[in-house]
Formats: sequence, C-alpha cells, structure tokens
Amino acid sequence: MEASETKTVKTICGYCGTGCGLLLEVTDNNITKIRGDKAAPVNKGQTCVKGAFAYKYVHADERLKSPLIRQDGRLVETTWETALQFIADKLTHIKEHFGPNAISMFACARSTNESNYITQKFMRAAIGSNNIDGCNRT
Amino acid sequence: MFGSGSPTNTLDDFEESDVLLLMGSNTTEAHPIIANKMKKAAKQGLKIIVVDPRKIDMTKVAHRHLQIEVGADIALMNGMLHVIIEEGLFNDEWVRKHTADFERLKAQVKTFTPSYTAKITGLDAADIVETAREYARADKAMIAYTLGITEHHCGVNNVFDIANLAMLTGHIGKRGNGIMPLRGQNNVQGAGDMGCLPNMITGARSITDNQYRRRFEDHWGIQINSNVGDTQTRTFERMENGEVKALYVIGENPLLADVHLNHTAKLFNNLDLLIVQDIFLTDTAKQADVVLPAKSWGEVEGTYTNTDRRIQRVRQAVKADANVREDWEILCDLASRLGYKMMYNNSEEIWEEVRTLAHEVYGGISYKRLDQEYAIHYPCPNEEHPGTFVLHERFHQSYDNTLKSAFVPVAYTPPIEQPDKDYPFTLTTGRRLESYNTHTQTRHYASGVKLKQAEETVDIHPKDAARLKIEDGEVVEVLSRRGSLSVKAKITEQVVPGLVFMSFHWSEVPTNVLTINEYDPISGTAEFKACAVNIRKKNVD
Repeated sequence: MEASETKTVKTICGYCGTGCGLLLEVTDNNITKIRGDKAAPVNKGQTCVKGAFAYKYVHADERLKSPLIRQDGRLVETTWETALQFIADKLTHIKEHFGPNAISMFACARSTNESNYITQKFMRAAIGSNNIDGCNRT
Repeated sequence: MFGSGSPTNTLDDFEESDVLLLMGSNTTEAHPIIANKMKKAAKQGLKIIVVDPRKIDMTKVAHRHLQIEVGADIALMNGMLHVIIEEGLFNDEWVRKHTADFERLKAQVKTFTPSYTAKITGLDAADIVETAREYARADKAMIAYTLGITEHHCGVNNVFDIANLAMLTGHIGKRGNGIMPLRGQNNVQGAGDMGCLPNMITGARSITDNQYRRRFEDHWGIQINSNVGDTQTRTFERMENGEVKALYVIGENPLLADVHLNHTAKLFNNLDLLIVQDIFLTDTAKQADVVLPAKSWGEVEGTYTNTDRRIQRVRQAVKADANVREDWEILCDLASRLGYKMMYNNSEEIWEEVRTLAHEVYGGISYKRLDQEYAIHYPCPNEEHPGTFVLHERFHQSYDNTLKSAFVPVAYTPPIEQPDKDYPFTLTTGRRLESYNTHTQTRHYASGVKLKQAEETVDIHPKDAARLKIEDGEVVEVLSRRGSLSVKAKITEQVVPGLVFMSFHWSEVPTNVLTINEYDPISGTAEFKACAVNIRKKNVD
C-alpha cells in the first residue's frame, strides 16, 4: 500500500452566509480535520462548531450514488442515460402540450455561483420560463 | 428604495459604528462568527440594541433589550420614526436633497405616539423614545436583521420600514452607517444575484429591462421570455389547481422546510414530474419521480457570494464518487437533450461568461485575482477596481444627487393568527446553534463532538410550564389548527409567558405541520415566525 499523504485545501465554509475561510486537511480522499484560516478576511482563523466539525456528511454512507427512477411506485436505481433521457422526454412533452409556464424550478442557495448561473440559464434558454426561485426570499 | 437588495456595508463596519439596532437576529446561534465581531465591537463601545421577543444570548452584551411582541416590528419602527420627526432629530436639508414623499411618511407615523406604540409592542414608552433618540443622534449607526424580520406576512414592509429609518436619519452610504441583512445560507446572496429569481437575471437586474435582457439574448442566441415568472409560493398555488406539471428541485427540502407541511405533501401528488437533485434522499426526494445524485461542498470548484457582497473561491478538496455529477454538468447535459446546447469544461469558463455579461458587477473579479486577494466585494467593474465596500455613497458626495430615494410608509398589521381560547400560545420558529436547516448535513458530526442540543424541544416559560404542570424534559403535545406533534418541553426564560419556540431541524419533529400558510404578498415569504398553538400534557383527558 502506498503511504498516505495529507494535503491542505483552502476553501470557504458551506454553511451560513458569513463566508468564513477554512483549511481542510485531506488524507486518502477524506477530510480529516478543519481549521479556521488565519489569512481569511472574514473570520481571521475563527470557526464555529458547524464549520469546524459538521463535515462528515460529505463522506456519509447515505450519500446518493446513483440516479433513481420511480417504477411501480418505488424508487429504483437506474443509469444516468435512462434518467436524463426520461426527464428530457417528459419535459419536452409538457412544454409542447402545456407550454414552458407549466414547468418550475427551485434553485439551490448552497450551490456555487457557477451552478446557479447555469440553473437560471437552463430555465430561461432551454425551458423558456422565468419560473425559478430559491429560498432567497427568506 | 435604494434600487438594490444588497447589504450596504461590510461586516467590518460594526466595529466602526456607534449604535447597532439588531432586529430579529439570534446572531450567536445563526451567525456565530458575526456575533463574535459584534461582541468585540461592543467591548470597544458599540451600543447594541437587541429587538427580539426572546432573551437571546446577544442580550448579554446589549446596551438594551427590547423584548417585543412577536410581529410588532413595524409598530416599533413607526413609533421611532414618530419620535424622530416630533423631536426634530433629522437633518432638513438631507431630507430635502435626497428623499421624496417625506410628508406621506409623516402622515403614516402620526398616530404612533410612544404610548400607543408601547401598547402594541409590549415595550416601555420611555425605552422606545430613548432608542429613537440614540439611533437618530448617533454619529454612525447601523441596522442588522435576519429572518425575524422577513419571515412574516409583512416581511417586505418590515424591510421598507428599516430603510425609512436609515434614510430619515442619514445613516446610509458611509462607513459604519448602513443596513445589513445577515444571510442564512452560504450562497443565498449569490444564487439571487446570479438570477435564480423569477424577476431578475444575472447581475440582479430586472428581467423586464429590455436593453439589459437583450445583452443575454445576443450572447445566448435565443429570445428570453420577458414576463416575470412565478415565486416559490406562486408555484405552490399553481400546483394546487394543476397548472404546474413539472417541478425541478435542486438541493432544497421544501417538504420539511416549508410552512404547513401536510398541505405541501399533497401538492406534490398533483405533478406529472417531480425531479429532485440532491446529495441525500431527503423527504422531498422520497416523493420524486426521478432523483439525481449531486456533488457536494468539498467536491466542487467555484465561487460563493457571502452576506457582505464578498466573492470568494470554493475549492475541491476530495474526489466525489464516480457516479455523482455536479449541478451544472447535469443541467448542461439536459439542456442539450432538450435541443439547447450548453458546453463548459470547468467552472472558470462559466464564471468568465458571468463576468462578461454582468460586467458592471463582476467584470474585475477573476479566479486569478481571487487566488491572490482572497475576497473582492462587488460591484467591481474592471481589473483595476478595488471592489466596493459601501453602497450608496452618492448621498455624501459633493455633486448634486439626482437619484432621490422615496420613503415607503407602511402600516402595522398584526400576525394573521392571534392566540385565542383554543390555541392560547404564540409559536415562533427559528434555528439552533449546532444544526442547519432541515439537518440533512448536520446529522453527520465528527465523532467526539459534544452537542448541547441533540433533539428538538418546545421552549416554554417557567410560569406557563408550572401552570400546565409540565416538567422539564417531559414529552408534551403541541397542536395548531393544521396539525399536531409530540415533543419534549424545555423550560427556559429565553421566552416570555405566552410565547413558545421551536426549530425545524429534525424530521422526527416536523415543526412545519403546525405553521400557517400565510405569505407576504410581495415577496412570497411565509409567516414562519408566528402562529397560534395549544400545549397539552400527554395521556391526560
């Protein structure tokens, strides 16, 4: 077995909107420890209990690892090809019969700016609807 | 009023300010690091006035605690405006030069005398007068708020009244003077700014702005629908009458997070297609027709926008499972299948498109600069621009300000469901320190971490508990007109008699079966903060 190496990755906390800079210690593709980044302008090295310790969800066994599709009332594992083509066919059908206004999107306030930009571009360019909202309002 | 929905200052401004009105923000638990900043500033002389129905931790460092009746914020602010106008604690010339509709504001707050305001808010008239004086007379003053202000049927009006206060007193547009909404989620500011709103496109500009929209149409090679779309609330309404056929939910758990849970669950049955894209099989995902596994924080590259308009780089730390995809990858694939081609190699290519299109806001913010400078506050239109620390500086610049801000006078409206004989308690909801929203992530703490609160409780005042013969830790029944649940009682003086508190972190105790489906007519935000409930001992008839 190869010797495990620990690397440190600089990133921003994924919980509240404060935007604390964190240093993630990573060994064998596992986050093993999180510290506040002293160079971070917002938190200057501090962290709260969520930011420092509530990271195990990334590696949780319960993480979804396959697309699921409903068959005979139950969600069963399927391939990306089947799942995405099923969605595309359904959305096309709904668009043709009921118009783009029959489709709505709830976007994710946890995702990156880049994913959120693509989310609204998807709705506006590929679907043709402005029915997109997040929990930005709360 | 000011033409944008962004926080006006930075988090560092608290240290430069003299008076801070902290409204509906349990800062210690919801934003612990910001609370530390405020506490440090308080030691250096910042007078913090906490406006909250609960005796929250921040009251320990507060100059004053206004323990207000739930939902009476507008009454308090109208009362403060009344005092400021009556006592002439504002600058005539400022009001003439920068504002409009002052006479309308004056008429609206005329009846809000200190004694009338005291009656509605449950506060001392003298405290209301003194708070108005301190805020108005301060050299530098700020207002910070969170969901205690917005999660009401009158949430937008609450925010208007905050702006009225800042505008009348001139506490805007300078260091240490401004309005700071504290954002609850890491990128809630960014998601809105990127255009994940029914009325806004990337750069937080209106979808009805023809010239601006055309810029995107040219670049995207497609005509964009120019009609404002549906809010989340409106989507739920249209689901009810079957007009919405497909709903695509990314990383949200509306089934547990939204008011009146039993009703929401039924609405999902009206859909032909429910798509949920998430990292866990949430309660909402369990109802879906298709579930798509997404990459999580720690597995992706990109940027977040924090609560003070700071863009910062998020980096990949670990490799995701090979069968899991990132949000934008999934959407690009789907778009192509729907006949609209979207292709990007990485997140930086997407960001470059954002910078190009919304250049007034992000033009100068490159990944390279973020690597070097850590964070840049937007707007930052070009590479030489240092970023913007304070918005609305035009109010203090020497040339004439031609862009006047109109006051928006607002009427006080009490919470929609008042306590009565059958449901004698007001339930208000919120967050707890160690948990995060519907708790799908914070269930997974590192081992060995001691948590103060590992399960839900209903927080009740000792007097109420004694009257109902409820002991600390006893499982009781909480009922509203919409549903009921069982939960342990926690006896605490954080709440006043007649008021009980719960969070909505645990799916075992689905608090939102109790809450009311009443919404702010403008924003669509739900009234999570007030409904009427009854508390009963279990197994007693």
